[in-house]
Amino acid sequence: MSDNILRCSIKAVGGWGQNYTNWQELSELLTTGATAENTASSPKPEIIPANERRRAPLPVKLAVESSWQATQSAGLDPKDLACVFVSGLGDTQLTDYMCKVLATENMQLSPTKFHNSVHNAAAGYWTISTGCMKAANSVAGFNESVSLAILEAVTQCVQEQAPVQITFYDAPSSEILKPLLKNDQSFSASLIIEPVLESNQTDSNLLEMQVVSQATEWPELDLETHLDTSYKQNPSARILAVLNMLTKDSADTVLLPLSAETSLQLTLHNPKLVN
Amino acid sequence: MNIRNIRIVDYESTTAAADNIEQLRIAIKNQTSGLRKNDFPFSDLDTWIGRVSAIDDIDLGEWQSRNNAMAAYGLQQGTILAQLETLKTRFRPSRVGIIMGSSTSSIDRTETAYRHLDENGALTPEYQQATVHNPHGPGLFVAHKTGVTGPAITINTACSSSAKVFATGARWLQSHVVDAVLVGGVDTLCYSVLHGFDSLQLLSQNPCKPFDNDRDGINLGEASGYAILMRAEDCETDTGIELAGYGESSDAHHMSHPHPEGLGAKQAIESALRMANLPAEEIDYINLHGTSSQANDSIEGKLIGSMFPSSTQCSSTKGWMAHTLGAAGITEALIAIDAARTDLIPGSLNLSNLDSELDFSITPENIERSLTHVMSNSFGFGGNNCCLVFSKTDNNKGSA
Repeated sequence: MSDNILRCSIKAVGGWGQNYTNWQELSELLTTGATAENTASSPKPEIIPANERRRAPLPVKLAVESSWQATQSAGLDPKDLACVFVSGLGDTQLTDYMCKVLATENMQLSPTKFHNSVHNAAAGYWTISTGCMKAANSVAGFNESVSLAILEAVTQCVQEQAPVQITFYDAPSSEILKPLLKNDQSFSASLIIEPVLESNQTDSNLLEMQVVSQATEWPELDLETHLDTSYKQNPSARILAVLNMLTKDSADTVLLPLSAETSLQLTLHNPKLVN
Repeated sequence: MNIRNIRIVDYESTTAAADNIEQLRIAIKNQTSGLRKNDFPFSDLDTWIGRVSAIDDIDLGEWQSRNNAMAAYGLQQGTILAQLETLKTRFRPSRVGIIMGSSTSSIDRTETAYRHLDENGALTPEYQQATVHNPHGPGLFVAHKTGVTGPAITINTACSSSAKVFATGARWLQSHVVDAVLVGGVDTLCYSVLHGFDSLQLLSQNPCKPFDNDRDGINLGEASGYAILMRAEDCETDTGIELAGYGESSDAHHMSHPHPEGLGAKQAIESALRMANLPAEEIDYINLHGTSSQANDSIEGKLIGSMFPSSTQCSSTKGWMAHTLGAAGITEALIAIDAARTDLIPGSLNLSNLDSELDFSITPENIERSLTHVMSNSFGFGGNNCCLVFSKTDNNKGSA
């Protein structure tokens, strides 16, 4: 391999956030500049059985809702998809619960809340709800969560020649941690990516990924006010830099920060607004 | 996918049983356990733990957490840092990657911070550590500590976390996004896990006895482990061990109970064997997940008995250092690798009477035997499974 460029195509998108309930609404916010309105405070992902859904924390519901939308839109069975879940902040409400209880004398934790506190709770609920037995990953990358999760999912898609679902999600931070992890926005989005033939240049939403040895900052985007707040506060909302390219008429490139001295260069060829 | 060119260049392990791999060899040879009765400060749980006391007094300033102290102490062992310096110079620091696995990250520090809130219920200045109080804490700290400036990620899939780092490392190397990668795992004792596992009634009041008739639960421990991986063609020297295969799967069953027939585990093992292009009977040794819980050992034991012949020797090594959660994957992968290098199979420490429902090759005694292909199993909450196969390179050339 000489140029180190990895290629895949974006097959479908899903999403649920503070100001939108699906990808169609989000893409309209990206293209029309209309002012966003608040949606409900939490999605109700039907795919999670009702008794499990009641116990599912908000970040899990965000992640599962957007993942379900993307797989439905792609017309794919979740059973056939490896998945990569990423959250930059983790479930700070559960961290808050655990640390408050553990600061008391009795230290008695709820067993359900304890098993829900694992970072891979979203991957767990997703695979249990859908019957998916494929590889499920759960990663964290703090401010670079979006670029690192894309790196992880695209290398997996290309090396294993199999479709991968990527879900980016972060919920508002708990009060005590908010001064450090400044996020009061719910945001989730999912992508389904598929391998492409080396020779194929005509696929819709053909994504080329390259790791370049150069530092960069998150690009400035011309976003509607509420989305802009999410983009600046919520580590997962930085996927808007990629989703934005899907709404354009022609090929575009973005450079995303990946580490202290590397960036992820993403070029989207043949953009087509998928449902 | 075929990955027959990912070499293990160097590795180190720090656990309650030993500070480094050299000492661990001695502890395994002599069957000396690092377990002790719970003496973790302010915890009155009646259980046994694998505690690394050497990290108690490490002070990392703005990076302080017990988990980061464990990561730092592990990095001081052996030649890992020296190897990284050489690779940073040879390839540039931005061409080296970091992949850490952890289940707790630095939640120990968040727990401590909550015990020292100010009168308004806010974090006091010494605990205002954004880069510590987040799940990517281990990746951020190890990047800071090593000066590696390439991509650094943290995998948090509970007890399979630091097994999966090998799979991700292999994919990054095969994709040429890095020229060398430090994979690792770190987890430390904290109240979240001690009292969390207690709430699930999974802790044993005795030293754990994996696969024994009388096993009555798990012991928790802390550890760090590191390995440097590279593509074979770029290696000037290596350990003579390669990552031959990996398998990742999901149970799709329950958040904290394994699949009753071990279907997810079976799928991970089959995938790893397929990638390594090996039939089950070629596996000489398996380091089992073997937590000493009723459910895991029963399910894993039956599965192994049904998949592998009696020539495949197995053991759980958790009797040496306890279940180190997010660090267990790499700790046990390294024990399997070291077994292959030293041709010594660690016994299944504390096993007296094998569970009468189980039938596979497992014994408390160490066995000296020439090993070619070894395997390590890791299963985590959320039904997250990972199986790794490592092979001696001399025996494999052109075989796949």
